Amino acid sequence: MHELAMAESILNAVIEKSEENHANEVIEVIIEIGKMTMLNGEQIIFMLEVLSEDTMANGAKFIVEEIPIEVKCLGCGFDGKLGSDDLDPYTPLPKCPKCGNLKVNVKNGKDLIVKNIVIDKQSKL
Amino acid sequence: MHKVADIDVQHNITKANKKIADRITKKLNDSNIFGVDFVGAIGSGKTSLIEELIQRMDGNIGVIAGDVISKFDAGRFKKFNIPVVGLNTGKECHLDAHLVEHAIEDMPLDNIDYLLVENVGNLICPVDFDLGSHIRVVVISVSEGDDTVEKHPLIFQSADLVIINKVDIAGAVEADVGKMVNDVKVLNPDVEVIKTSLKKEIGLSNVINAIDRFKKRMDL
Repeated sequence: MHELAMAESILNAVIEKSEENHANEVIEVIIEIGKMTMLNGEQIIFMLEVLSEDTMANGAKFIVEEIPIEVKCLGCGFDGKLGSDDLDPYTPLPKCPKCGNLKVNVKNGKDLIVKNIVIDKQSKL
Repeated sequence: MHKVADIDVQHNITKANKKIADRITKKLNDSNIFGVDFVGAIGSGKTSLIEELIQRMDGNIGVIAGDVISKFDAGRFKKFNIPVVGLNTGKECHLDAHLVEHAIEDMPLDNIDYLLVENVGNLICPVDFDLGSHIRVVVISVSEGDDTVEKHPLIFQSADLVIINKVDIAGAVEADVGKMVNDVKVLNPDVEVIKTSLKKEIGLSNVINAIDRFKKRMDL
């Protein structure tokens, strides 16, 4: 898939925020990956480690947290999270775990978010 | 003295693309341009379809041709003397709204009625990248195999119009076109599916009519 493009976008957001906050070094980055994105977290981390080599994020710890899929069924009204067995990895189509309906609103799980960073910054004191 | 700071970022990369896509839609609306995003498998006939549309549709057309190396497709469109912007994606597997927004800067928006955007040949990666077009047309052909739809459900769920091309050779490649149509309908019951053969000139007027129906519905 497009993990490289996503890793570049993550790193740009991390560097931008770090510069805004006068960082010398990025220590830790927490990234949330929605399960619907089908992005491979391990690949993202590997690419971030490579891409960040000549930046202030070199050596940072990259942590990936998964965002589960939440749906609202337009058939039976089920409103909640899908369990890990409710999504076939080979046909990643969200459906209602209660009635099997494919007509569901995906409320959560489609996003890729840079959630949090820990930086080291030079204090003026 | 060093100080460690914990900073809440909450930068949503997916939504960043959507924000740019919304800006593109507004720009197209302001210029009375109807935008169509063509996605589909490699070799399914996206470029050939757009070539036919350029020649047959009423109104002025501009094309953004996205490809790994875009000069080939862009060159095919340029021979019709219309505005064409090529987008090289290199190793990237899809267009995103950021790339398209820049390409639109080079489009004479006052002189076109339709903006056709040809995405990179790929049925997976473009799913999550709204390009700000008014409709998404998914193009596949029988030669990819009649299990193509069920193997790529998300792109068909995101489609406004589905085209199954090269139906004239379905027998030769042992593809069941009826199965492909049914598979689309299971995933996206309300979507219109049009069977075409660009070589045999089958179904093309249906495609043009369908696009125009969408355009009228948008009041553009």
